[in-house]
Amino acid sequence: MKRFLYVILIIIFLTFFLKACLRRDIADDKSIKNNIAKTEVNYNFPPESKNVVIDNIEYLQSQAPVGKFGGELIESTIGEGPKTFNPFSSKDATSSSLAGLMYDSLFTTSAKDGKIIPKLAKSYETKDGKTYIVHLRKGIQWSDGKPITADDVIFTWNDIILAGLGNTSTRDAVTIDGKLPKVYKIDDFTVKFIIPKPFSPFVRIMASQIAPKHVFEPITKQGAKAFDLFYSTNTNPKDFVVSGPFKLKEYKAAQRVVFEKNPNYYIINTDNKKLPYLDKLVYLIVGDLNNEILKFEGHETDVLSLRGSTVAPYKMKEAESDYKIYNLGADNGTMFIAINLNKQQGSNGEFYVNPEKQMWFGDKNFRTAVDYAIDRKNMVQNIANGLAKPLFTAESLNSIFLNKNIKGHERNLQIAKDYLEKSGFKYEKNKKLYDKNGERVEFDLYTNAGNTEREAIGVMVKQDLEDLGMHVNFKPIEFNTLVNKMTTTFDWDMIIMGLTGSPLEPHDGKNVWHSYGSLHLFNQRTKKPNFDDRLKFEKRLDEIFDLAALQTDFANRKKLYDEYQQIIYEEKPIIYLYSPIRIVALRKKFKNIYPSQLMGITYNIEEIYEDKN
Amino acid sequence: MIKDIFNGILKDKFATVALIVLCFIYFCLLFADFIAPYSMNYTDRELSYVPPSPIFTIDENGKLSKPYTYNYVRTYDADLMQTIFKLDKSKKYYLKFFGRGEEYFYFGFIPMNRHLVTVDKDGRLYLLGGDINGRDVFSRLLFGGRISMTIGFLALFILFPIGLLYGGISGYFGGKVDMLMMRFAEAVMSIPSFYLLIILAAILPSNMTSTQRLILIVVILALIGWAGFARVVRGMVLSIKNQDFVKSAKMAGASDLRIIVKEVLPQTTSYVIVAMTLSVPGYILSESGLSFLGLGIQQPDASWGNMLKEAQEYINILYRPWLLTPGFLIFVAVLSFNLIGDTIRDILDPKSKTR
Repeated sequence: MKRFLYVILIIIFLTFFLKACLRRDIADDKSIKNNIAKTEVNYNFPPESKNVVIDNIEYLQSQAPVGKFGGELIESTIGEGPKTFNPFSSKDATSSSLAGLMYDSLFTTSAKDGKIIPKLAKSYETKDGKTYIVHLRKGIQWSDGKPITADDVIFTWNDIILAGLGNTSTRDAVTIDGKLPKVYKIDDFTVKFIIPKPFSPFVRIMASQIAPKHVFEPITKQGAKAFDLFYSTNTNPKDFVVSGPFKLKEYKAAQRVVFEKNPNYYIINTDNKKLPYLDKLVYLIVGDLNNEILKFEGHETDVLSLRGSTVAPYKMKEAESDYKIYNLGADNGTMFIAINLNKQQGSNGEFYVNPEKQMWFGDKNFRTAVDYAIDRKNMVQNIANGLAKPLFTAESLNSIFLNKNIKGHERNLQIAKDYLEKSGFKYEKNKKLYDKNGERVEFDLYTNAGNTEREAIGVMVKQDLEDLGMHVNFKPIEFNTLVNKMTTTFDWDMIIMGLTGSPLEPHDGKNVWHSYGSLHLFNQRTKKPNFDDRLKFEKRLDEIFDLAALQTDFANRKKLYDEYQQIIYEEKPIIYLYSPIRIVALRKKFKNIYPSQLMGITYNIEEIYEDKN
Repeated sequence: MIKDIFNGILKDKFATVALIVLCFIYFCLLFADFIAPYSMNYTDRELSYVPPSPIFTIDENGKLSKPYTYNYVRTYDADLMQTIFKLDKSKKYYLKFFGRGEEYFYFGFIPMNRHLVTVDKDGRLYLLGGDINGRDVFSRLLFGGRISMTIGFLALFILFPIGLLYGGISGYFGGKVDMLMMRFAEAVMSIPSFYLLIILAAILPSNMTSTQRLILIVVILALIGWAGFARVVRGMVLSIKNQDFVKSAKMAGASDLRIIVKEVLPQTTSYVIVAMTLSVPGYILSESGLSFLGLGIQQPDASWGNMLKEAQEYINILYRPWLLTPGFLIFVAVLSFNLIGDTIRDILDPKSKTR
């Protein structure tokens, strides 16, 4: 009986197995679309905000449609949350952006075209690019009712920024030829800045946030240590005196940051009511990306940044959901391969890069061949799920200084091989590549382990270069080891990395492109040698960056920065791969949303309102 | 004793199944070059994250046919922002058994080009779909398993001899020798292995291949791991050394080392065998953990651990379940080892014979 049961079981199993093997082919036909995702987007913007005077108070009037007051918006932030709420001592992006909600800057960037537009200040004027006169708004107040005046601006610059308190990066950025700018008070609502010589990035730095003198002054007198601890995350929310649209209400470590509306805000709507519309703005602190996605799915947050393959399922559900997906176009991230052009010797007399490799990497034809061998199209398609755009130059694709004449090229192995042959590289035995001295072309390609995206790029680059007959050892290594290689030991050949650029100010890239910059990846120098060891194109880049900073006219600067991008495209010390497209999902109930390629989506937080219907 | 164990396993149904499963896995791994339709690094970039090739046995007219498959064509829908794979039904590719495919060197030196199952040159047979770079997951599973499934034994061959001898000597001599040796073992046990690994990752020369690195790391882990095992052996030896046969061996004038190796240690065999079988799955799991930390097998080489890493994004779990197959295999292999280990313990432990 038992045996009988077994037989039956086996027969049933076999039937199922055979059934699974039989699979019917059904003819079907559906037309398919094949196109590429948009990388440049044009959304409509409302007219620019106007300065208006009501009862002798100079407000900024938002021209966006009038909305309803009340409601809350919940965002999320990945990581440990803010480390401080002091905008002048924050060193990480989360702290800076949260402090940015509480402290407005003098000027801001137009989401439409990147121009400088007024915010806390009314206007500025300059004649020679060295003297700037800034006019402040009369009658506007801090959240505690005290007026915002020229004294606050002078105090912020002289006693905080130029005194070197907190984060000194602003101070470093405005140090021109070793000299600091001078700040004078003309009257209660006018301030004059004087810099030693024209310096075009200065205006955006001058737009810095302003501290309330009556709150900060006692602290600055206690020295740097006290200043760093001031407005720390333990501060009682009642102690904050702010100028921005929101004021801290509650902070729970590793859980959430809650902001409430600042009743004394100086931006009004066309009905002359004080903004912001939202009562509350909440940031949930989430551990990682998956967690962030789950919170959004659970309706705990209202905004979600999406990338690559995570977009598709949200896009499919968009029609029957309560959110809308916005394509913000190519963002300011760049992915690239850096080639080590270093020809220096370490303290023990050994070369950082061995001389044979120096000969290959120093050869422009070799670098061009590498560039032509890379299959950017499939990188974009496979690794970024089509949500990226091939990149050929150093400026990010949304930059207002992007050189649009650089069109790039498709992968072409024949052209690559021609370049190699020009420099005497030869193919022998089984299509292996040898240089003119008969050395086998073999080198290492590094990236940081654990990053699926970069590892996948590495696998592709390895295969691409092996199609050229090179032997590439692809080695994903631990991140800190990689950084150590790049900044201290210099014993690498090629590295796959990513950096975030600034779409508004190419001068921020000076530390990468200037020969003695701190992040001059492809030819990092430890100290200035007593002779000029710069390569020809490095010299020109140095000149361009020095010259362009002196120009105040946009067209003149653009011309110089176009040249710098052209040089990098031609010389290829760094080979750019692609730039991802930023996609954001936001609940439909929020109105006055004007997505911008430059500024993101909730940059106009005071204008956004919640429409519950 | 081996025969007893073997018979014992065959009596237990679960253990038998586990043994068959393990033998099957190791057989496949041994003949991976032949069974896999493609080599480990065979890439078709148009097939990134392609779903598994469907195999049809009844054609569109409803008639039985030789099994065949179609190629997938990739298209991109910008409105939906996603890649869509569609079968290209214009050409059928019939499955060829023992057909000619990519060339490979069997066991590293016998040139061959026959594969268990292939399709014509332009066809693609991705039985378990593709990964992000458009490589065949099924083939990579077979090649990757070679490392994942053998790394554990490598560790055992280092860990157990050291642990046995150390524990044997310490327990047999006792007294001050025992005290010193055990304190040393405790010191070794207190080395924080996780931080050691992080340091190792930084100082190991970067010109090693990832396989060499992993082997070195496992060897180092084994060099720390023997201490716990040595302590148990020492405890057992303490009781064994007072038994009559050890005393008589001493009387007969045998040397200490001979007594330890020939008389005392064989008495611990049952424990050793059980401990060995039960620690193999631990090493299989730690391989996946190490690869995850960037210390183990790295791209483009395959191992079950680093293949599973690719699946960790939740979107892949939902939409590309074939990427989870390495996890399934790890699960099956670990479970099988544990079942067999458990059964062997029951067999060798006289107290539970009546089970």
